Amino acid sequence: MRRVSQTFFLLLFLVLLIESRLPQDIYLKYSTLLSSEVDLRIGWPVKFFFQLDPLVWLSSLVSGHHLIKGFGWALGLLLLTLFLGRIFCGFICPLGTIHHVVSRFKPTLKGERMVRANQKTPSQKVKYFLLITLLLAAIIGLNLFGLLDPISLLFRSLALAIFPGLGVGLKELFDAMASSDIKILNQLSYTAEVLVSPIFGYGYQAYRTAWFIGLIFLVILFLNRIRPRFWCRTLCPLGALLGLCSRVSMLRLEKDDEKCTDCKLCTKSCQGAASPIPGQDWENAECVACFNCFNACPEDALSFKLRWSRQMNKRPDMGRRAVLGGLAAGISLPLLGRLDGQVHKVSDPRLIRPPGSLREKDFLRLCQRCGLCMKVCPTNVINPTLAEAGMAGFWTPHLIMTQGYCEYTCTLCGSVCPTGAIKEISVKEKIEQPIIIGSAYLDRGRCLPWSGNAPCIVCHEHCPTSPKAIYLRMATVPGPDGKSLSVQLPYVDLKKCVGCGICEFKCPVKGRPAIRVVAAGESRSPKNQILLGF
Amino acid sequence: MTRRGSLKKLLQVSGTVAVSALSGWPFSARRSVWAKSEKKKFIIEGLGQTEGYAVKELTEKVFEAAGGITHFISRGDVVVIKPNISWARGPKLAAATNPEVLESVIELCYNAGAKKVRVADNTIHDARRCFAITGAGVVAKKTNADLIFPRSSLMKEMKIRGDRLDVWPVFVPFMEADKIINLPVAKDHVLSTLTLGMKNWIGAVGGRRNALHQDIHQTIVDLAQFFKPTVTLIDATRIMTKNGPSGGSLSDVAVKNTLILSDDPVAADALAAKLFNRRPEQIGFIRLAQKQNLGTYDLQQLDQKKVVL
Repeated sequence: MRRVSQTFFLLLFLVLLIESRLPQDIYLKYSTLLSSEVDLRIGWPVKFFFQLDPLVWLSSLVSGHHLIKGFGWALGLLLLTLFLGRIFCGFICPLGTIHHVVSRFKPTLKGERMVRANQKTPSQKVKYFLLITLLLAAIIGLNLFGLLDPISLLFRSLALAIFPGLGVGLKELFDAMASSDIKILNQLSYTAEVLVSPIFGYGYQAYRTAWFIGLIFLVILFLNRIRPRFWCRTLCPLGALLGLCSRVSMLRLEKDDEKCTDCKLCTKSCQGAASPIPGQDWENAECVACFNCFNACPEDALSFKLRWSRQMNKRPDMGRRAVLGGLAAGISLPLLGRLDGQVHKVSDPRLIRPPGSLREKDFLRLCQRCGLCMKVCPTNVINPTLAEAGMAGFWTPHLIMTQGYCEYTCTLCGSVCPTGAIKEISVKEKIEQPIIIGSAYLDRGRCLPWSGNAPCIVCHEHCPTSPKAIYLRMATVPGPDGKSLSVQLPYVDLKKCVGCGICEFKCPVKGRPAIRVVAAGESRSPKNQILLGF
Repeated sequence: MTRRGSLKKLLQVSGTVAVSALSGWPFSARRSVWAKSEKKKFIIEGLGQTEGYAVKELTEKVFEAAGGITHFISRGDVVVIKPNISWARGPKLAAATNPEVLESVIELCYNAGAKKVRVADNTIHDARRCFAITGAGVVAKKTNADLIFPRSSLMKEMKIRGDRLDVWPVFVPFMEADKIINLPVAKDHVLSTLTLGMKNWIGAVGGRRNALHQDIHQTIVDLAQFFKPTVTLIDATRIMTKNGPSGGSLSDVAVKNTLILSDDPVAADALAAKLFNRRPEQIGFIRLAQKQNLGTYDLQQLDQKKVVL
């Protein structure tokens, strides 16, 4: 029963993750006055796990003062926790399931050592420390929950690192097969690519800092060798929150001291290090409700009962130090996050946010850094930041125009953002307001016609606005051999440019394109403007 | 179910990828057929003058005037159609081939007994969005044609043997077709003046296409001598008269209700140029193409017909 539930939710998570992209089979009726302003959307409820996650709801509420759409699922889950304890951890959480599987199939610890590893340790207080830190920081204005929230962490790791990593490996294989002289291999490569690309992405996405995201994920998996479910026991802030809620839960482990032969099988199989063995106090807040102990006990000395009782369950063992430390850290983190001045003083020219993003301050209060917008982006332009948004904005989304560009009539990223850090906008709004994400400028020294090297109009040709923000003027420039060359020279009209970056992406000048986009002029920020009265 | 269906179809595609792309013999074979045909080439202009004429009927009539579709497509042929659907813009903006024309041509091919009709274009915007928004996706689904998405494994380096382009990656479906129909839309173009039939082949190659603009006319002609379509049908039902090739406003669009069918790619472009009030010999790639004997812009040398609906 537990395994069925875990498998179901893990598969659901993976399916939703894979479906978080523009499918190939979109069929629009062209007869019904089809215009370019079609709001293509993803049919699957790809936000589901984020709506189910109480941390996403709570952090958006306390930090961004915003009630996210579909938060009813999260409230439902909290309610369920009040009755059944950390049932989410044992039955639903896909990251928990992965840890469970890893811990189970490759147990490095055998016998007595496993029993010892499953004893409760003081390190389990760390997760409360983290929860308090993150919560306080979020209330003050720095929402870092996304870094440690298990759903965001898992989505980010799989979508930005693990899947693209496998995808690139497969691509290399297919390209090798396609370029071979053996015909059957050519055909196989195409067939395999057709089968595989719907899962790993049509364009073989790549993400900046993905190696780091992947490495952290692998380390977290590796920790299971030290102790089973190391993450869930020690680090997970969602586990801590649910543990606090389970104080009043009806689900109780009843121990029969008489029957117990002290074989320790229950402790050996305990996933949460929740002291199931008779003679110790059951740690209700640590129990992930996996029911392993109940199944392992040969003497039927353990049983789970649903029953109200007058007195509450055992208090979660948070420890004073963890609480005080958490409070201190929670207050200092937001201050630390401002020290680099990125939020208030300077803004990095490369920090181009997806279309529909809120003002930087509000954006940072809501963004979960989950990577959903990066996963759905059809051109792979949205990438996690490293330093562009400062320490406070680590791994938040920004656009790298050499890697892709923002499609003029695409509004997918906002439509999937689980917290509304990127507003859901329509194509009509995007074009007519317009929503500006930055502005282009020319590097005349590198530009082919400006430098007299060759005629070229690629930036103008691709400019999607109507009328075009890049215009051409006929002129004669001196060529390298001294003869004058008659060419069309591109200019940027800042009043029309929306910063989509297709000019930078398609510019034939490789390395550093001759036309580039910076964040200045973005419509979300009244401060970051170039022109007067715009 | 549709996904499984399309997977199956694509499996068949790769199964029927029969002729070796590397040897390149189908092309030399086609070239010799070309050389043999002493017959006068034709050019047919179809005009829809009556209010509410059917694009489908006009397409059929135009092919009938050329001797019927069976003249070009034989039973069991794999036909690849090259529309121009590079930009994710709605059909009304004339940035892409009219889906109604595309639909009629696919139907004609199937009626002529084609084994498979494929629609292939290496788009500029994201292909999924282009196929959806231009209406090509739904047409392909309706008519049971295959949409071929550009993929890196479908680009193969080929010897173009042009003046500017020697070896360049080419979109494989065109190498493996029995018959190719070029189905461009007629548009204004900022660098090459117009984009018509011959320029449409830029959408049939991969690689660093943005560098082709540095010698646009010669590269167009290089590609035009490499890709030899069975027939060219220029969609000028709506044409983009300015701000090309991407446009984006209805004010850039003129309704011409015209289709141009020819087995001479240069003549087709020449006639289409006249819709823009331009003299063909003033357009670089048309002039160059005639110089390299790819065809002629002197329409008097052709068998000219006009179909009016």
